[in-house]
Amino acid sequence: MMSLGVQAVLLGIVGFLSNAEWFLGTCFIQHPIILGPLTGLIVGDLQAGIIMGGTMELAWAGFASIGAYDPPDPVAGTILGVAFAIKSGAGPEAALSLGVPIAVITLAIGNALGYPVLQIFAHICDKNAAEGNDRALTRNCIISGFLAWGISSPIVPLAYYFGSDKVVEIMGGIPEFISEGMDIAGGLLPALGFALLARMIMKKELAPFFFIGYFIVAYSGISTTGVALFAILIMVLYFTMNKDRLMGAQAADGAAVLQTKDAGGDFDEF
Amino acid sequence: MNFNIHANYDKEITKKDLRKVFWRSIPMEHSWNYERMMNVGYCFAMIPALKKLYPKKEDFIEAMKRHLELYNVTPYISTLPLGISVAMEEKRAQDPENFDTDSISNVKTAFMGPLSGIGDSIYWGTLRVIAIGIGASLAVKGSLLGPLMFLLVFNVPHFLIRYILTFVGYKFGAEALKKLEEIGIMDKVMRMAGILGLTIAGAMTSEMVYFDIPIKLGAGEEAATVQSILDGIVPGLGPLALFGAVYFIMKKKKCSPLLMMFILMALGIAGAFFGFLGVVE
Repeated sequence: MMSLGVQAVLLGIVGFLSNAEWFLGTCFIQHPIILGPLTGLIVGDLQAGIIMGGTMELAWAGFASIGAYDPPDPVAGTILGVAFAIKSGAGPEAALSLGVPIAVITLAIGNALGYPVLQIFAHICDKNAAEGNDRALTRNCIISGFLAWGISSPIVPLAYYFGSDKVVEIMGGIPEFISEGMDIAGGLLPALGFALLARMIMKKELAPFFFIGYFIVAYSGISTTGVALFAILIMVLYFTMNKDRLMGAQAADGAAVLQTKDAGGDFDEF
Repeated sequence: MNFNIHANYDKEITKKDLRKVFWRSIPMEHSWNYERMMNVGYCFAMIPALKKLYPKKEDFIEAMKRHLELYNVTPYISTLPLGISVAMEEKRAQDPENFDTDSISNVKTAFMGPLSGIGDSIYWGTLRVIAIGIGASLAVKGSLLGPLMFLLVFNVPHFLIRYILTFVGYKFGAEALKKLEEIGIMDKVMRMAGILGLTIAGAMTSEMVYFDIPIKLGAGEEAATVQSILDGIVPGLGPLALFGAVYFIMKKKKCSPLLMMFILMALGIAGAFFGFLGVVE
């Protein structure tokens, strides 16, 4: 049987390494179903870890990470929930009820600390690119993710060693407006990203199209995919209706007329 | 059916280069940020191709900057737009005079919205649910096969398709460019891609820039939040005004992107502290 300290350190390492989920292709190693058995192995009951991991996975399944939204932090939630439940000899439901409150708090802390780090690194990478230093960009890209999510990693071993009540109490001292403020900033920062993108692709005579896209979504709430579908169809229609005129320039160049047929067929695939 | 995923590779880019792009596409979400999302990951993946195509340092720098613009797509299919970008960069590097460089960003942007919609529903909506269904049902019975099956059911198709799409994207891009040039409608199609790109950028701005102004005007039963009044005039007016302000400040170069980032983050925190901004439910 490992001592409490060794267990805490090992659980901390598992938590930190699970941040490689995104480094390894968003491959889902951070899911409860994976972290549960690893926690069980460290705490001394693999079987219980597997079962609790499976139970928690089903609970977490509702929190899909779609678009810009984040599910509650499954790392601290699973590791601490499963570890405490096994230690106290309770069942899988206990793991869930012990894990979810911690997951909500660590998500808030993680976001408040992690996203600013990623923001700053994105701008460091801009600088690396401007200097033509692709090696520095490569390095900073790798560091950024591990650092951003690594900062909040000590929460897991500390909470395991000192008890989660103490940690929750201390973390409760961090004002809520900071994490809430980062959540709000999450909706403001894309304005900068899209402004920088628009600076690149905006042309004065085409600007109304930006507003068409914007207001279709704002008024109807249909998704970007829906907007794209209609836009593509309108363009195909425009193209087929004006085929002769559009192809006219090419015919004048004296190229083979036969290819016109080819072009029509090709465009259908688009 | 004889379907070949490989292009001819008759120019600079080889199969090996594309394989490097695939490997480097894997950490696509590792550096995901709210401001430009997958931009660092996208540039990171493009680097081997860009380095080969642009031996001159200025060109290489410009190309890296191009791919540090905002990007977001389901990570599992990110190699498709990457392959297309590689084909376009190759074409540009060959003949920079006659190639509309903006079209690289336009085409990327045009693909970002529709691909995300399709990719999200296939991977997050379907494959993930299947993997959880199989994995969790085994795990709750205490079988170690649960977690193993969970990883395999999701990741085997994921990595296989991710790999194949690198070559499919490149082939599609290279062949489309060739054909468009042959029949002489490159400029027209690129113009359409520009229109599509802008429309998509507008739609995504509307989807991703959001905030709530919960300040109440009036009292008692008649009280209405500023947000509901704004929504009553024109929905999305607030985020559009924010976008417009940031766009013009950035365009006039009155402010560095870094400073603007801090301003927006401070605005979020101040908004939460004083209560003039809220999280959209």
